[in-house]
Amino acid sequence: MTRVRQIGESVLLTLILASVALAGGFQLNEHGASAISQGGAFAARASDASAIYYNPAGLGFQSNGSIMLGATGIDPTISFYGPLQNNTNAETKMNSQFFTPINGYVVYPVMDRLMAGVGVYNAYGLGTDWPADWSGKNIITKVDLKTFWLTPTLAYRISDELSVGVGVSYVSGTVLLEKAAPFDSRVTLDMNAHGWGFDGGIDYKPLPRLTVGLSYRSKVKVDASGSAGFVPLIPVLPGGGVTTTITLPATGYAGVAYKFSDVLSLEADYQYIGWSSYQNLTFTFTKDGSTQSAPKNYNDTYILRVGGEYLMGCMKLRAGYYFDHTPVSDPYVDPLLPDASRHGLSAGIGVNITNHLSVDAGYLFIKFLDRTVTNTIAATSFDGTYKSYANLFSLDLGYSL
Amino acid sequence: MKVTKYGIVALAVAIALLYGGCKNTAPSGPVAGLGGATVGKYVSIGNSLTAGYQSNGLFASGQAYSYPNLIAGQLLVAGSNVGTFQQPLYSDPGTPDPVTGKASRYELISWAGPVIGPRGLNPGSPVNLTLPRPYDNLGVPGAVIFDFLDSTDVSLKAQPPRSNPLFALILRSQAAFGKSIFQQAVALHPDLVTFWLGNNDVLGFATSGGVSPSSPTSTAIFTGLYTQALGTLHAALPNAKIVVANIPDVTAIPFFTTLGPKIKAEIPAGLVLQYQKHGTTGVADGTTNFTEANPPLICLTGSPYASLLGHPTGKWYRDHSYPALPAGIDTNQAFGFDPRNPWPDALVLDASEQATASASVQAFNSAIASVAAANHAAVVDINGFFNRIKLSGYQTSGISFTADYVSGGIFSFDGVHPSDQGAGIIANQYILAMNAAFGWSIPLVNVAALPALTVPLSKGSNVYPVIPDGAFSELNMLWGAR
Repeated sequence: MTRVRQIGESVLLTLILASVALAGGFQLNEHGASAISQGGAFAARASDASAIYYNPAGLGFQSNGSIMLGATGIDPTISFYGPLQNNTNAETKMNSQFFTPINGYVVYPVMDRLMAGVGVYNAYGLGTDWPADWSGKNIITKVDLKTFWLTPTLAYRISDELSVGVGVSYVSGTVLLEKAAPFDSRVTLDMNAHGWGFDGGIDYKPLPRLTVGLSYRSKVKVDASGSAGFVPLIPVLPGGGVTTTITLPATGYAGVAYKFSDVLSLEADYQYIGWSSYQNLTFTFTKDGSTQSAPKNYNDTYILRVGGEYLMGCMKLRAGYYFDHTPVSDPYVDPLLPDASRHGLSAGIGVNITNHLSVDAGYLFIKFLDRTVTNTIAATSFDGTYKSYANLFSLDLGYSL
Repeated sequence: MKVTKYGIVALAVAIALLYGGCKNTAPSGPVAGLGGATVGKYVSIGNSLTAGYQSNGLFASGQAYSYPNLIAGQLLVAGSNVGTFQQPLYSDPGTPDPVTGKASRYELISWAGPVIGPRGLNPGSPVNLTLPRPYDNLGVPGAVIFDFLDSTDVSLKAQPPRSNPLFALILRSQAAFGKSIFQQAVALHPDLVTFWLGNNDVLGFATSGGVSPSSPTSTAIFTGLYTQALGTLHAALPNAKIVVANIPDVTAIPFFTTLGPKIKAEIPAGLVLQYQKHGTTGVADGTTNFTEANPPLICLTGSPYASLLGHPTGKWYRDHSYPALPAGIDTNQAFGFDPRNPWPDALVLDASEQATASASVQAFNSAIASVAAANHAAVVDINGFFNRIKLSGYQTSGISFTADYVSGGIFSFDGVHPSDQGAGIIANQYILAMNAAFGWSIPLVNVAALPALTVPLSKGSNVYPVIPDGAFSELNMLWGAR
């Protein structure tokens, strides 16, 4: 029966790997319509309440309290062509999905130079929903990952040129995964996860028109626990409790913004993501304490971002671009995470409706580079081409005191 | 504000272009096709493996996943006009056991045990009897290489010593279509023939523990028959593509690899399994604790007896209607642990019998390779493929198969014949060989989409799969005396 148990464990292993993988390619950096509209190049200016995500030091240069509430609608289109092992190029379309990560920020001036804020946002999210009977059903059919980040933040303006900020994040998440399991059963893994992280930033204006921003968000060790269930119930497969620790990687922004005129500012950012922390993943069955480990071998990676804002009367016109380099090398690409390097092209507008009330809207188009993998690891054995794009629509309402 | 309006319009246009202008299109990749060849008729020749026999029975829902039927389906995808592949379908639950008259198909009877065996259902019946021509699938369970050209009347093959009624089911209307498998195949004028015979020339020896028959077909006779068979086929169909498969090493199948490790784990400290070597009928002349280099292989047919180890029992002799106990046998002694009540020869393939079987497989396969080359036939190296599975399993589309009993996924409940997914894996080996040999590009069977075995072994107090008495009588019929 050892063999049957091993099958069951490897089923669970791939499920848990899925949750890690999702945190990679589906890391969300879209937490404010203004930033999204500008290719996410926002860490230097960090000029609205979404600074709580992009660079907490940015709050230090904001003199007024504010409230910002919004959401981003994400509409991905993903196709797989293959598997090449079957000498076929047949297309499987992922079922259409629509995701709406939210963002909410409150910022309040505690005293002169000291700003306090709190943010709620979904730093990791999205999901995968392949047809239930598709050829990759033994790898994955469905993933639904949600994480909520609650981030109290303090920022202090040391001088008119220099501000610093820090924050602490409580992370709470849920993961739901489904796939086909041996003996024509299906397995669902339902997990809850909790963890803590911190972040800090610095914003410096060496010249009146020049702003340099650095921000850092720590890795977050998330302890996940939950249960695996098989339908129909297969007594020999190891359902029941499963725990694992998932480390969400550290990420950092370095941004430079320049104000070319009173109406035009441009910014370029380099974002670093420390994915190499994912070399292996170990998980534990609560039933008997047995553990299994699997290699993941992610690479550190980066995102290059440029964007700008043009002021036109009461209206701000914004545009931007980024290039996001995949952390997943070819052998580890699978339909849990059809990951690929990608281009993002964005535009948006912001309107001050009254002195207090503002609306920001943004649109982002993401085109994944076509990715053909021909050397997937034996456990996957699922070669083929992934083609993906996504449309994102973002809307924020702002109220400043 | 005029400029602003233009800006908004420009933005809207840009968004619309980006949104509408993007659509995933197929990348360049494999294109299904037969390289211009016309395949209007495909005929498969073989034994139970080809017939779609599985879980100890021939039944329509298993025949639907016979590897030839799967190949025929892929041929259609590749643009051939083979039409519906006609098989000698036998309605579920399938063919009867010759002894009980009930359907011989194995299923999971009970979680407790678990018990795997026939349900005692009334058998099905032939359902494809009005076809006015021979069947496209001419795989006959129990067929040996000799049967290919043999024109004995099928009614005689149903009588002892063959006692095999399936020739009559599959080779109908011998007067109209010819008496032999060969003649019925040629009557269909196939463009493509798959040919997989020879397994039973060694498997019958092996699964009977080297007892019945007491030796495999001799290499000289096998080589002669195989040369004659393929030569005759090629001469009759000079333009047909012929694909032959060689013979897998019989000792790699779960029929032989399941019980031994379980018995090994159950033998009390200080004791060894006392068994009869090849040809022995009396006191044990072999002992094993399964730690030696080449331990004996215990047949799955030993399942009803494995749980009696250590007990004084004469069940084996009663079950097999011995008129008297053989000389030296004392069934009051601990079964399997006392040399006077040994584990029977028929339930064990000892080292010398394994060597005999392996030598035959090797010799047969070398004959197959040279005869195939002489007749311009492509060869599917099933032997090499299954040896690789034995070592490292087989992975596809996130499924990990092994050669283990039931949990491995490739073999059906009888431990010898492939499951639905196992048949898909075999079909793909044929397709790969055909694509390579003929320059075709047939898509492979999507194994992930085939039914998986529906019931696994359970963790029970009894570590042996309990297979009821007589459950293998059908199997014995298949490979029995010839």
